[in-house]
Amino acid sequence: MKNSSIWAVSLILMTIILSLAGCSQQDEKETAATKDDKKVFTFSWSGDIGDLNPHTYFPNEFFSQAMVYESLVYYGKDGEIKPWLAKSWDVSENGKEYIFHLRDDVKFSDGSAFNAAIVKKNFDTVLANREQHDWIELINQIKTTEVIDNYTFKLTLHNAYYPTLQELTYVRPLRFVAESAFPASMDTYKNGLTAPIGTGPWVLKEHKENEYAIFESNDNYWGEKPKVDEVVVKVITDGESRVLAFEKGELDMIFGNGVISPDSFKFLKESGKYETKISEPTATRTLLFNTNRETMSDKNIRLALQHAFDKDAVIDNIFYGIENKADTLFPQNLAYTNVEVDPYEYDVEKAKALLDEAGWKTIEGKEFREKDGQPLQLELLFISTDNIQKSIAEFVQGDLRKIGVDVKLTSQESNTFWTTAFDGNYDMLFTATWAVPFDPHSYLASITTDSSGGGPDYYALSGLSFKKELDTRIKQVLLTTTEEDRIKQYHQILTMLHEEAVYLPISYQSNIAVYKKNIMGVDFLPQEVEIPTTTIDMKD
Amino acid sequence: MIRFIYKRLLGAIPSIFGLSIITFLLIQLIPGNPVLTYLRVSNIQASEETVQAIRAEMGLDQPLVMQYVQWLTNVLQFDFGTSLISKRSVLDEMMLHFIPTLQLTAVAFLLIIVCSIPLGVISALHRGKWFDRMTQFFAFSSVSLPTFWLGFLLIYFFSLQLDLLPVLGKGSAAHFVLPATTLALGYIGTYLRLIRASTIEVLEEPFVLYAQARGLKERTIVWRHILKKAASPTLTGLGMSFGNMLGGTIIVENIFAWPGMGQLIVESIVNQDYPMIQACVLLLGIVFFLTNLIVDILCGWLDPRIRLAGDRIK
Repeated sequence: MKNSSIWAVSLILMTIILSLAGCSQQDEKETAATKDDKKVFTFSWSGDIGDLNPHTYFPNEFFSQAMVYESLVYYGKDGEIKPWLAKSWDVSENGKEYIFHLRDDVKFSDGSAFNAAIVKKNFDTVLANREQHDWIELINQIKTTEVIDNYTFKLTLHNAYYPTLQELTYVRPLRFVAESAFPASMDTYKNGLTAPIGTGPWVLKEHKENEYAIFESNDNYWGEKPKVDEVVVKVITDGESRVLAFEKGELDMIFGNGVISPDSFKFLKESGKYETKISEPTATRTLLFNTNRETMSDKNIRLALQHAFDKDAVIDNIFYGIENKADTLFPQNLAYTNVEVDPYEYDVEKAKALLDEAGWKTIEGKEFREKDGQPLQLELLFISTDNIQKSIAEFVQGDLRKIGVDVKLTSQESNTFWTTAFDGNYDMLFTATWAVPFDPHSYLASITTDSSGGGPDYYALSGLSFKKELDTRIKQVLLTTTEEDRIKQYHQILTMLHEEAVYLPISYQSNIAVYKKNIMGVDFLPQEVEIPTTTIDMKD
Repeated sequence: MIRFIYKRLLGAIPSIFGLSIITFLLIQLIPGNPVLTYLRVSNIQASEETVQAIRAEMGLDQPLVMQYVQWLTNVLQFDFGTSLISKRSVLDEMMLHFIPTLQLTAVAFLLIIVCSIPLGVISALHRGKWFDRMTQFFAFSSVSLPTFWLGFLLIYFFSLQLDLLPVLGKGSAAHFVLPATTLALGYIGTYLRLIRASTIEVLEEPFVLYAQARGLKERTIVWRHILKKAASPTLTGLGMSFGNMLGGTIIVENIFAWPGMGQLIVESIVNQDYPMIQACVLLLGIVFFLTNLIVDILCGWLDPRIRLAGDRIK
């Protein structure tokens, strides 16, 4: 008996040791093979890159579409519109005609020429599916598309729509695929592409769905070529796994917003082994108040909540400074958002006074305030899988308890969350603005429309007495023709929203980057969704 | 034997049929509206007309019975439809996810068998000794460890500290080691205890004494006679576990970025992708059934009384 057990145990141990040894050898060989002389840069994303069609949405990812396809114009720093595939443009006096002079040295990655005809063809296939894209007002405003000559393209609009150029910079859907990429039906939305062929700096080389995608530098690229030869994007769904893969050296960089927890970011930063960066504010994380609920329709209550919430505590304890405190609906560094308003300071006594004024009185021996025998209870809705929302919700609950408000936390899985949000069954919920180039104009426009392309804001704000006026003003500002007028009107709208206290801005979100010390050129691009793959370089 | 298999195969049809009806009905209970979900992910404005049009396009305007009959007719021709969300063939997408999970599960399963049988038998033979106590400790701790924690722990030690194995993804054989171990460890604990218990039971039977009296070698008695008899109760459990592992690997898949079934199922439930959920449940049902069939055959082979009993009743 003794012999047999020794024999069995040693056999098991041998198997384990041999398999481990065999595996690690194989692993070394593999990494050695991929590294030879090429510069290969690796990072991860939480989902697959999708089918790389610039004219569709899900399951495409913005960053991968932006690597392969380009627009007529580029969204530069501080919102400045810069030439891209169009080297210049003329706008008619009445603001309804745009003539684009295209670059004549651009080729698609399959070698075919980029010209006005292919621009028109791409615009037309997008416009053929107008209803899928009409969350972008420009799509509704386009009347005709014309080829003037080989390198001149003309766009005629119904109205003088000022954000035209800005909306042309969007990653989708107005970017260009080559003639050979069109399906037989010519409808890229319904039938997809035959191959992902664009003019951008990267070409898809290999794609294993849900595992990885490899992009290689485009030999035909007209602009400055990328510094590394290949970019590998690995699919890693879990944030902690991403951190471990990065520490192991399987990734060169972690990039994005919410891709790892603030704790992990802090840990990596403090280890001193890596470089870290935080971008300028991109969008605003905010609470939205539902003015259709009887309690929330009272401005004093909304004001009391603004004063009762200790934002600094959240910034210090949850974000460790990765996200900064927000006092206005949009970050102040965007076009037209630099509004002078008095921020609502953290002031518990003021909050209590406001509640007293609203008729919600403290009752001896009871924890929560009451009015006409009803306790003051508010429901805060958040997405169950979002740990940051959950942590903030707990802070909100604690802060409001101090002024005698009972906050009921309701967590829902994301689809149910959005259904509840659109149906308006909540008092407060978490939402966020859309970041540039969508902020502020597209986000504000979404407030005026009751559609899934918008947000829950339309319904939430509809309890305000001046909602109609607000909608009219937002629609007007989009058709303003002078800069001066536009600034004035945006200021009025944003001041109005601030004074009515319907949003409780919490923090400005930022992109984070954590990368190895041999990586250079990690600069945040103006559009939040873009990853600086072309400027990145690696030292040996 | 062939007759036995044939009968079992026929018997499975009503079960799988019933399973498909139950899932079809249960899916309807998921809160939310699949049309609105689809519109949201496709970025289409949800006007009343579009909702109606999409409902008709998805066939959701039909009565439930008609929807089911339509689905069944297509499935019988191996047409599982297209995903409501990705608009691609359900069968293709399902297979894309099923194969990696099957591979992972197979490796983990092998690991369970290779580890739990010898460990279980040896601890039974050394009841109360240090080896038995060690396996007992191992069994309890492996069963109680949460999978996600164990997964990260293994990555931390074997990948980061010792630098032996890759962290994530799929590719070489080395990529299988950590996820398969994570998946298998809890089961190894369970099964080694099960095998230990049944081995102890068999050890007390008279035939063991008789075999010893016949002067058979200790090794022959243990590994041929005792194990053969002790294995059958464990086999039934293993069959069920195989099915469980195929459908329930979501946590392991998430940690190790493994592109498998668990992720697909959870995602399609969240997105209310009816055809996808339905097809996945059907596939898992069939897998469950097949593994049970194999287990039954194996049990019959190990113990002739089982297969003969079935024949005699007729």
